[in-house]
Amino acid sequence: MSAPRPYNLVAELTYRCPLRCAYCSNPLSFRDTREALHGAAWGQVLRDAAELGVVHVGLTGGEPTLHPNLAEIVAAASEAEIYTHLVTAGTTLDLPGLRTLRDAGLRSVQLSVQDSRPAESDRIAGVESFARKLEFARDVRALDLPLSLNVVIHRHNLSRVPELIDLARELGAHRLELANAQYHGWALLNREQLLPTQAQIDSAARAVEAARRQHPEPEIIFVFPDYHRGRPKPCMGGWGRRVAVVAPDGRVLPCHSAAELPGLEFWSVADRPFRACWEDAPGMNLYRGQDWMPEPCRSCPERERDFGGCRCQAFALTGDAGATDPACDLAASHDLILAARRAAEQAEGSPLQLRYRG
Amino acid sequence: MNPDDAAFEARLRAIGSTRYHDRHRFNLRMHEGKLSRGEIQTWVLNRYYYQTRIPIKDSLIVAKAQDAEFRRGWVQRIHDHDGEREGEGGLELWLVLADAVGLDRAEVARLQRVLPGVRRACDEYVRFVEDHDLLESVASSLTEMFAGDIMKLRIAAFEEHYPWVEIEGLRYFRSRTKQAPRDAAWGLAYVLREAHTEADRDRCAAALERKCEILWSLLDAVEAAHAHPALTPYAQLRESSADQPATVVLPERAVELNPSGREILELCDGARSALHIAEELRRRHPDGEDVEADTHAFLAQMRSLGVLRTGQ
Repeated sequence: MSAPRPYNLVAELTYRCPLRCAYCSNPLSFRDTREALHGAAWGQVLRDAAELGVVHVGLTGGEPTLHPNLAEIVAAASEAEIYTHLVTAGTTLDLPGLRTLRDAGLRSVQLSVQDSRPAESDRIAGVESFARKLEFARDVRALDLPLSLNVVIHRHNLSRVPELIDLARELGAHRLELANAQYHGWALLNREQLLPTQAQIDSAARAVEAARRQHPEPEIIFVFPDYHRGRPKPCMGGWGRRVAVVAPDGRVLPCHSAAELPGLEFWSVADRPFRACWEDAPGMNLYRGQDWMPEPCRSCPERERDFGGCRCQAFALTGDAGATDPACDLAASHDLILAARRAAEQAEGSPLQLRYRG
Repeated sequence: MNPDDAAFEARLRAIGSTRYHDRHRFNLRMHEGKLSRGEIQTWVLNRYYYQTRIPIKDSLIVAKAQDAEFRRGWVQRIHDHDGEREGEGGLELWLVLADAVGLDRAEVARLQRVLPGVRRACDEYVRFVEDHDLLESVASSLTEMFAGDIMKLRIAAFEEHYPWVEIEGLRYFRSRTKQAPRDAAWGLAYVLREAHTEADRDRCAAALERKCEILWSLLDAVEAAHAHPALTPYAQLRESSADQPATVVLPERAVELNPSGREILELCDGARSALHIAEELRRRHPDGEDVEADTHAFLAQMRSLGVLRTGQ
């Protein structure tokens, strides 16, 4: 099929990060990834992407503020009229540094926190960081930039959703994203420790509903996890459909972790123009559209909504990236999900022992 | 009363004390005397649509009942609203209120200017009763348990704060101060008697919560009509080009606009109210169908996407 217009660029500037979160979505092999792109090269990517229709860039990583040319990259995006959104852990940038980025054209900031409580947040992050993050959040608001909070949700912080909502309000966040841990990569290694119980999810959903009734701000994003919904998530809004991810080594990918799938060929902007990497790389076209779908997806009306779910999850759990996402209760492999849920229900209350990204 | 019933009744009352629309900002402002004449009129005009749905909803409930005694009791509500003959009943009294606040009762009765959010909320209530059994339908009507108090508050507020509303207009509220507690007692007794299992009680509680949400969203829509929408300060508006539509880009999403959406957004300057914007579009497009309703629906969608912010 012909390649659709990308709207959103996810620019993974580096995989380096001071945090060591046990559910990091970076590839397990992140240490082997070379940082190939400097400021000027990222500028070219952004101009090429704008040409193709990209209107928004998420500058992320790892920790994007560790890239030495960040201000130059922000300026290039701004120059290309791309909305520039920084996704950061908030431990690396001081107020003058943030002001420099704002003056270069940065428009908004997403800050990750791991929990509403300092000790618990630091425990998940693997380093002491919570107090610094709150300071950073206040800097963001002091510069009048919109702030959104992102919290990866799992068994050990799900009961703190009401506190997280209070925290978001106190910090003046316009949005709170309660993002389910995605169980491939690091999180799959820790799945038995992290997967929540049904009762926890239901109670969190009620807290979110109550908060929304109380006040429309912040906008609270809380999606029922695919493990518990019986339907796959519309991963990335469809493979190679709306979102282009550019990894630190310059490879253009359909999602953060697709480079982990064996045998898929993606191309790098270090070797070819962005347009070719997006439109023509064999890996980008492998799961584009609907032609690749097996049954029951191929004839399922849900395919228009979920785009066949997550290829990385299909690979992580079944060994076949082209299989139906096991999160779907119509998938032959759905038992794998049910078994993981049973294990989580049984492990409830057990002490936390995590394998950190390292 | 047995302790189970007492606990169940307390549970239902607790839903009212946290979710009933007496806590909605619009009602709080009404009772504090802070609504403008225009806001009172918008509320009266739109709430009439709710009033017209009540006897339809009650007819559906009567049709679900197997028991003659139940039907005899419940049918009283239909008489209360529709009257025994032309010119009587709650619907007529609401039109008296419409006269008293300076609206044209014929226009109110035509229901053409009902806001889409209000229409949706009221239709959802009728649909709820269509789709659920007698027990849940009766439970959904139990907002009447909390209605007697709000009517008294309202009468006092109108007498004190809105002297321009003719006293004749308050007859509807006065009639409900007696009817609502009577109806509520009847409905509550039925629910306590017929909800046998914990699952039944859960269904009743959920039905009452749903109904509270419906009343709440009705007021949300009325309130939004008087708000002054403006483009969110941190949004980036990209004008249309040869191959791309106009687009609003936000921290976490992009929203594409068709030419009429773009035209509406142009009027969202923080000075005009949603009602004024809708009227302006009606003026510009006199031949368009449903221009005002479509405008309100578009503004609501843009608010929920974070494209627009609203100030009062």
